[in-house]
Amino acid sequence: MEALGALARMKTVPSHRFDAWYFAGGLTLFLFVFQFITGMALALYYVPHAEHAHKSIIDIVTKLNMGWLFRSLHHWGAQLAILILFVHVFSTLLLKAYRKPRELVWFTGFVMLAISIFFGLSGYFLLWDERAFAAVRVATGGAGNLPLAGWLIKGFLRGGLDVTGETLTRFYAFHVAILPLVTIAVTGLHVLLVQLHGMSVPLSQEEKQGRPEPFFPNLFYKDLIVWLVCLGVVVTLAVLFPPEIGRKADPLAPAPENIKPEWYFLFLFQTLKLFPGEMLGMNGETIAIVLISAAILFFLLIPFFDRRSAMGQRSPLFTWIGVFYLVYFTVMTVIGFLT
Amino acid sequence: MPRVLLIVLFLLIEATALCSGAEPKVEVFPAAPYDRHIIYQALIFFWIGIIGLIVIIAMKLREIKRVQNMGIDEEEKNAPFLD
Repeated sequence: MEALGALARMKTVPSHRFDAWYFAGGLTLFLFVFQFITGMALALYYVPHAEHAHKSIIDIVTKLNMGWLFRSLHHWGAQLAILILFVHVFSTLLLKAYRKPRELVWFTGFVMLAISIFFGLSGYFLLWDERAFAAVRVATGGAGNLPLAGWLIKGFLRGGLDVTGETLTRFYAFHVAILPLVTIAVTGLHVLLVQLHGMSVPLSQEEKQGRPEPFFPNLFYKDLIVWLVCLGVVVTLAVLFPPEIGRKADPLAPAPENIKPEWYFLFLFQTLKLFPGEMLGMNGETIAIVLISAAILFFLLIPFFDRRSAMGQRSPLFTWIGVFYLVYFTVMTVIGFLT
Repeated sequence: MPRVLLIVLFLLIEATALCSGAEPKVEVFPAAPYDRHIIYQALIFFWIGIIGLIVIIAMKLREIKRVQNMGIDEEEKNAPFLD
């Protein structure tokens, strides 16, 4: 403990025009812990079985003291965690904080974003209502369109040919056991690497930065303020907009009309809509999935492609690529939301 | 007669509900006005508490920065001991 205290006292954080973006990382960590706590409370009462899952959530919301609040907090905590994680990823991208020697920091951060999205999808499915059921059928079906390994991924996620009670058991295992363990390991590595390399300073600010600020107590107290505001926002959203519970899923019923995925899948959903059913004699959806996968892979490997940033030079091309990714994501999400 | 009419009306409403497949919506928020009032009141107190804590932390931070700017926050290594 003493060594940790000494480390905290010795650690300093760069001070410059864009240092406010540093808070996104700490805020994500806070929301992850928040999700763990509210999720553990819900897991005490949730029944992971196709026959009882929907009823157990209704019981949590209607019969348990403060059950509705815990479910609502968990729902809004998840939405905000993914939103802040996107903000963190895009701020890292645009400030070129991924550049050498922080490639692995970027990589672990990207893995955390992927895990969070899967956390969101698996948690949504646990509700076992008709919308969640249709969303998981579409998402796992989309994964199945990947060439070569698609059928394997789809079968592994579904636990069979179609979405059934087996899928619920799998998603429950992912949501409460596998993903939390992977999250702890990857987050630990991410934080450790950030401590090892220190906070990145944007190239434009290297000459202009002020005196480094001590992490403890200065930045820690500022983090506390941001966390408190975030806690207030989550509680307010949970009280004013508790999430609805739809009708129980019926695997044999057709998908409800005008169904939309969660907001963080809307850009993918809109992109898939742009492609016709058949293109160049091939399945249009397969082509779309391949192109999206290639774009995501390029996004992951940006630190290795951006050689100018790695050498400490400005790279406007990659700034524009980052802006393009951000604008595309935002515009497609808004269009998906409005249409 | 009115009782028969009431029964027929009730049966009609039930039959319509069954045909439309409508299910009662799950109440995801306490429905009683008293409970709602208590919850909204608690939310206001919660925000007052948060704002209070933020003010205290901000004051503390300001004081820490003032001491740091004066340069008296670090222990002097060569300070003589008083035996």
